[in-house]
Amino acid sequence: MKWKNRGKPLVIFFTIILLLFLLFPFFVMISTMLKSGKDVYAIPPFWIPSRFMFSNFVTVWDEYKLFIYFKNSFIIALGATILNTLITVPAAYAVARLRFVGRKLFLYLFLVIQMFSPVVVVISLFKIMAGLGLLDTYISLIIAISVFTISFTIWMMNGYFRSIPMEIEEAALIDGCTRVQTITRVMLPIAAPGMVTAMIYTFIYAWNEFLFGLSFIQSQPKRPLTIGLYIFAGRWSTQWEYLTTAAFLAIIPVLILFYIIEKRLVAGLARGAIKE
Amino acid sequence: MAVGALSLKHKLWNPEARLAYILLLPAVLILIAFMFYPIVYVFLMALFKTDKLGRLKEFAGLANFIEVLSTKEFWKVTGRSLLWTVTGVVTKTIFGMIIAVLLNVEYRGKKIARMLFIIPWASAVPISAMIWQWVYHSEFGLLNHTLKITGIWSNPPVWLGLPIPAFAACMWVDIWIGIPFMALVFLAGMQSISEDLYESAYIDGVNWYQKFFYITLPGIRNIIIIATLLSSLWTFNDFNVVYILTRGGPVRSTDILITSVYKSGFEWLKFSRASVMALVTFFILTIISILYAAIYFRQESA
Repeated sequence: MKWKNRGKPLVIFFTIILLLFLLFPFFVMISTMLKSGKDVYAIPPFWIPSRFMFSNFVTVWDEYKLFIYFKNSFIIALGATILNTLITVPAAYAVARLRFVGRKLFLYLFLVIQMFSPVVVVISLFKIMAGLGLLDTYISLIIAISVFTISFTIWMMNGYFRSIPMEIEEAALIDGCTRVQTITRVMLPIAAPGMVTAMIYTFIYAWNEFLFGLSFIQSQPKRPLTIGLYIFAGRWSTQWEYLTTAAFLAIIPVLILFYIIEKRLVAGLARGAIKE
Repeated sequence: MAVGALSLKHKLWNPEARLAYILLLPAVLILIAFMFYPIVYVFLMALFKTDKLGRLKEFAGLANFIEVLSTKEFWKVTGRSLLWTVTGVVTKTIFGMIIAVLLNVEYRGKKIARMLFIIPWASAVPISAMIWQWVYHSEFGLLNHTLKITGIWSNPPVWLGLPIPAFAACMWVDIWIGIPFMALVFLAGMQSISEDLYESAYIDGVNWYQKFFYITLPGIRNIIIIATLLSSLWTFNDFNVVYILTRGGPVRSTDILITSVYKSGFEWLKFSRASVMALVTFFILTIISILYAAIYFRQESA
């Protein structure tokens, strides 16, 4: 709905009010991460730190060894991204381009299982991982995360493969490329934006994952970042100045990645309803 | 007859189909091992008596179902899950619509506003939930402090300590996370509506709410349906917010189905009970996703 100039200041005014309202917890985060422990537990509380404690960053990184959890999350997210891509790309090509009995069924299936909740199967997955001797390993998380991301990424890649004109692929086949060569040399480079989106999506999913990490990982040094943040939560009180500092550091990488894929992700989620 | 059998065999097993099956094999194998088999096991646990390790003991038939469905707690939790989902989705839709309308106006700084609106969706849910826990803190939290000093609410509740405020507080965090998706999808829809429609409306002297109700809303009808279906799945499924903020407390007042399933299994080691509830959850989710798939495929073929 285009409002003519008259309404603009009003629009900007409401936008600012809404943003102040919705970003409130981030203002709290920024205020807290710059405070000292004394400022955090002051009554009454206040917004501006009495001293700006930039040293909190050094403390969480060195003393609390936050880098260990960053490393863990990075390995898990990278592993899940690779596994997901290896499984997804061939499958998506098959449902997008090849004719075979059951194609529609596969598409339907991938669409439906995309909605399944990890919580429904987490107990049985725990038992399976235990049976395979995979509890307390990165691999358990890499597998679980891949399982819960492949259906969406297959769908997304399927859309990208389909948008490539048949003629391009046929030309390659006529020129003597094999099917596999056609996929790797012709289709993948064209579908690269979709593939990058799918990979970033998986990476973010893994980085933000909480449930499997909580259930499968027992030893402290193997925890992913989202669970690792609990080191700042003591039995009696939480060191919020450190927790918010760590949270800030943990959010930044995914925020940047998210901005890269945001538009394509929305289009992928709402599918047919939106024309890109 | 022989010809028919041959062509059937050819249909299932020609070079192209063979390649398709090979390419799909890894995905199918991993899904069978780590998705379908676990779901089957949930069914088994629901039909059997289980020990503290979740091993199947003796066949119980529907006894577990009857046991769970006859408790008041189960219906309370299920009801709360539905309330949670409906309130959540409606509120997200309203906020999303308002933001989409605001972002559909051209002005300098709009791109930045858009980026800022996305932040709650883009941040990690578990981490946001932890931060909200601190925001809601009754003594040291800046929310209650700010409400008091600005005079908006002179006597705000102890958010996470009492049943009703705690439920409202959890609800709000879930809503807060879900708003940006709604806003972005609606915005994308609004931008695909032809400019001509608005132009002719302008010439006809139509006012802004007529434009909204007669052009914008009908124009994004399909998008609203798809987005609310997706959002209801995510909202119903939201484990992290409740688990991190309150763990379902105080006195189970914020437990929804999804957190009950997890706690019954991992905390109370009642695997059969957890499985029955997991199946109820599964059933509800499947209905919503089949609806979604049906609408999606109808749109595609249209």
